[in-house]
Amino acid sequence: MAAKYDVLGSRAPRLDAPDKATGRARFADDLNLPGQLYGALLQSPHAHARIKRIDVSRARRLRGVKAVLTGQDLPPILYGVSPARYDEEVLARDKVRHVGDDVAAVAAVDLETALEAVGLIQVEYEPLPALLTAEQALAEGAPAIHDLFPGNLCAEVHQEFGDVAAAFKQCHLIRSGRMVNKMQDGAFLEPNACIAEFDRRGNLTLYSSTQAPHYVQRTAAMVLGLNMSQVRVVKPYVGGGFGPKAAATPLELAACFLARRSGRPVKMGFTREQVFLFSRARHQFFHEMKIGVAKDGTFLALEHRCTLDGGAYSSFGIATVYYAGSLLGGPYRLPNMRYDGWRVFTNKPACGAQRGHGGVIARALFEQQLDLIAQELGQDPIALRLQNTMQAGDVTCNDLNMSSLGMRECLQAVGDGSGWRGKRGRLPRGKGIGMASGFFVSGAGYPIYRSETYHATVTVKVQEDGGGVKVLTGAAEIGQGSDTAMAMIAAEALGIPLRDVRVESGDTDLGVDLGAYSSRTTLMTGHATKEAAEDAREQILQALAEELGVVRGRLSIRRGRVKIAGGPVDIGPLRGRYLKEHRGWTDQPTGRELSFREAARVAYLRQGTIVGTGKYKPPPLGGEYKGAAVGTSPAYGCSAQVAEVSVDLETGQVFVERITDAHDCGQAVNRTSVEGQMEGSVSMGLGEALFEEVKFDSKGRVLNPSLGEYHIPTIMDMPQMKCIVVESNEPNGPYGAKEVGEGAIMPTIPAILNAVYDATGAVIDELPLTPERVLAAIKKAGQNKKGGRRKG
Amino acid sequence: MLLPKFDYHQPRDLPAACGLLAELGPEARVIAGGTDLLVNLKHGRIRPKALVGLERLEELTGLDSGRGRLFIGARTSAAHLAASRSLGGGLRLLAQAAGQLGSPQVRNRATIGGNLCTARPAAELPPPLLCLDARALLAGPQGQREVALSAFFKGPGLTVLGPDEIMRGVVIPRPGLGGGGAYLKLGLRRAMEISLVNVAAFLQLAPDGRTIAQARVALGAVAPTPILSPRAAQALIGQRAGDKLFAAAAEAAARDARPIDDHRGSAAYRRDMVRVLARRALEQAWDQARGRRGGKS
Ligand SMILES: Cc1cc2nc3c(=O)[nH]c(=O)nc-3n(C[C@H](O)[C@H](O)[C@H](O)COP(=O)(O)OP(=O)(O)OC[C@H]3O[C@@H](n4cnc5c(N)ncnc54)[C@H](O)[C@@H]3O)c2cc1C
Repeated sequence: MAAKYDVLGSRAPRLDAPDKATGRARFADDLNLPGQLYGALLQSPHAHARIKRIDVSRARRLRGVKAVLTGQDLPPILYGVSPARYDEEVLARDKVRHVGDDVAAVAAVDLETALEAVGLIQVEYEPLPALLTAEQALAEGAPAIHDLFPGNLCAEVHQEFGDVAAAFKQCHLIRSGRMVNKMQDGAFLEPNACIAEFDRRGNLTLYSSTQAPHYVQRTAAMVLGLNMSQVRVVKPYVGGGFGPKAAATPLELAACFLARRSGRPVKMGFTREQVFLFSRARHQFFHEMKIGVAKDGTFLALEHRCTLDGGAYSSFGIATVYYAGSLLGGPYRLPNMRYDGWRVFTNKPACGAQRGHGGVIARALFEQQLDLIAQELGQDPIALRLQNTMQAGDVTCNDLNMSSLGMRECLQAVGDGSGWRGKRGRLPRGKGIGMASGFFVSGAGYPIYRSETYHATVTVKVQEDGGGVKVLTGAAEIGQGSDTAMAMIAAEALGIPLRDVRVESGDTDLGVDLGAYSSRTTLMTGHATKEAAEDAREQILQALAEELGVVRGRLSIRRGRVKIAGGPVDIGPLRGRYLKEHRGWTDQPTGRELSFREAARVAYLRQGTIVGTGKYKPPPLGGEYKGAAVGTSPAYGCSAQVAEVSVDLETGQVFVERITDAHDCGQAVNRTSVEGQMEGSVSMGLGEALFEEVKFDSKGRVLNPSLGEYHIPTIMDMPQMKCIVVESNEPNGPYGAKEVGEGAIMPTIPAILNAVYDATGAVIDELPLTPERVLAAIKKAGQNKKGGRRKG
Repeated sequence: MLLPKFDYHQPRDLPAACGLLAELGPEARVIAGGTDLLVNLKHGRIRPKALVGLERLEELTGLDSGRGRLFIGARTSAAHLAASRSLGGGLRLLAQAAGQLGSPQVRNRATIGGNLCTARPAAELPPPLLCLDARALLAGPQGQREVALSAFFKGPGLTVLGPDEIMRGVVIPRPGLGGGGAYLKLGLRRAMEISLVNVAAFLQLAPDGRTIAQARVALGAVAPTPILSPRAAQALIGQRAGDKLFAAAAEAAARDARPIDDHRGSAAYRRDMVRVLARRALEQAWDQARGRRGGKS
């Protein structure tokens, strides 16, 4: 079969590869502006305290200090992520709510001076009881962390689909379980950094390491009292985000205020420790569930509840607490589902969105329980899942529409690819194999603020010489490869080679784009890019048709050449004009077909600069119930993984040796990037399964705020990976494409848990799987079963 | 995370360096690879006025064998130790340990002198060196003294090193035929890891190939300093090697461990792991002493 596409589905090298491989890529901290100052933050040493008095006089007097700000100097405007829960101040006015809460900001001629000035600020605190766990925060009589939220409940969710109580009565088998993880850190390589500058007319430019320039622009405008058009946010290259960089930070906002106060550009950055203190990464979830199935294994009912330790602010947490429920709607047929969720404020750094937003622990517990159900029913885990999986066209009980779903293909692919049949149940004790599925949105159906805004607008400008095009987009390339994906989509739509497309992105002046979160960019910005490129193509072909005196319908462009259907047309005059215009040039067009360059040039000569525009907003999505906005998406990605582990039965160490991973991303735009997301997801999921935990002391201070003591996997810990790309055709995606960015993490933790169970017989309900925890679980399992496992 | 300001000195030879230290007093610090020192400087844990670099001191370099002893210069990097041909046979456990320190980048900078003088309870190189009966060569303004490594550590971050002394290197008696050792480390991940527990074991077999003539088991991260386990040595010496004996000796080693609970792990687990690792290390040491290739590390 001839390839359907010329550019899509290939392994084209990334546009940013040369810059990044040679160290030329510029990140926020590499930028310097003439006359810039350096900013620093004073942060709270207390988890919970009232601010009685702040004395900045010594700091102000220090030579080289140009601005010192406290909460009293700033407008009393609350901001945050969800407008219904704005609860953050750039600098605390009356109280601090976690260790690391920002209290004052300084700008000075150099960083040494700024830090020295921070050290000279004196704050008198009146400590309040620190509420460090959800239980403490919910306890009767606990002080309110926010006056706005007495009882410290940030949000609660109660949803029921179908009739759960009635369904449980029909069940042949009911299983219950629980799972608790630990607070995570995003552990991106590049700590947040930014530089803010006001021009003499009061317009702000903020260069920042962010995933969501649009939201940062909007928040900065709101907090600074500017119009959005007076604020330009520019995202240079970004060294990863994974969620925590998807909203404005006090760092960014303080830099803006300091720049305004001092009249000079201000550069600021978090240290690694400050990244931990700001957090906004994965919550701690206390998840419990009950699953009921029929005798033949058909899933009938799910009842689950979850308490989230949210930390000091709402951040993305409202979405998180909803996602923890809604994402179990798929990929299996599940007619009855009840979910109750509570997100609780505590005096710790605020948690927010992190890859697999809200769904990772729910999924881990659910998939673990499915394996135990399969065992009780005497069924093979893959077979049980195959039996229950939905297919394209199905709608979940919570109204998620499976417009495409390659779940069956993923399950079969990992079964075959891992040699499951020869291994499952046949490995010696200490060796195990386990699997799990995953499911995720392909872009949040709604913006984080209520609006009818387009989610992405893209401009494709055809260069006047006709030699190529430029894609202009606000989309955020944060290392995931979106620039390359957009270039490939534009190239495909225009019918030109990838090298003729350049991308300018990550700048709010270039268009609206909600940002790199919820696995939305390929589908949403991809749609807008495709539309913009097609618009440009139409304009070119229309102009060319007029020039040649043929109907537009006879013309098309492929691989940079103009195809003319239905008989010969004399291109001689047009070619002649082009050659004359380029006398002396060495790369003159030849051959019997016109080149894209000639066509685009003639279009320019006829009507001036050709600019195509495109836009995207999801179509109306299902769900009338409260909270339907979180989980509904134009499309859903799905995945399956098989993990093979070896467990040291004496030390409890778990070694993940191999992972076979299949992901349905719809049409793969760039095959290598798809695999990159799959491998990156496995590394992140593996870290969360085995190592990662932000630890606190009894005063709410982070004990391990460094990548030395907060363990993410090194390359030595990575398993051998086999990535299988499953390509369903997503009707709601550009060229059939959908997500791979976050859904790919979903199966990793449960696949490892299930493999550890296979190896040891231990059901583990707490993460991470430290050797000590695993060893204790093995011992307990041994006592329960008197070593009576089916394996010798 | 800024480095504080300090003067930097590069003395030409050991006497000059010691003289400089004596002159500068406690405000000065020696720097070798800097992989510990720079971290501490950036965190503001120490604020020396001056750093004395060792990079020109030839006396601190090289691995030299002579008269049954091996000299290892204090500036020798972990990467060099890990790859060194001089560390075959009964000395292999030292190379094994060096190869598990940090990451390739860290190993290129980290020195053996720094690893010993920084005196972390969980450090990589003390257990194998304790097992090999290493002695530290300490140079001062008054000349050089030799201290058994087992008497060198005084507590976390504390050693017998005087403020004007520099470690020149260590010397190790070369084990003869029938010597074998092993080093094992337990942590969460496979690299860049502070040991939860680490154990080294060394056995010297008598000419009969079965009787244990000399034995040492050293433990890290289970006491304020890296320690030798006297009970384990006592259980082993003079006995016939074998799995049962090793299990008993490992039990004895666990009794010598004095671990604490911290956020990395509980004392009980650490003690358990001393038993597991000591037994495995002894089995591997025996395999090596008998001329079999040791098991996996
Ligand atoms: C990312 C990272 C990972 C690490 N991983 C490990 C690990 O896995 N295992 C491990 O054991 N360590 C590890 N370390 C710690 C460190 O690398 C080692 O302890 C290393 O051996 C120190 O050697 P150095 O030459 O860098 O010492 P330096 O930092 O130069 O010095 C350390 C201390 O020793 C003193 N000193 C150095 N040389 C001498 C001398 N000749 N005479 C007198 N005093 C001296 C210095 O004054 C200083 O107090 C790690 C460090 C980092 C940054």
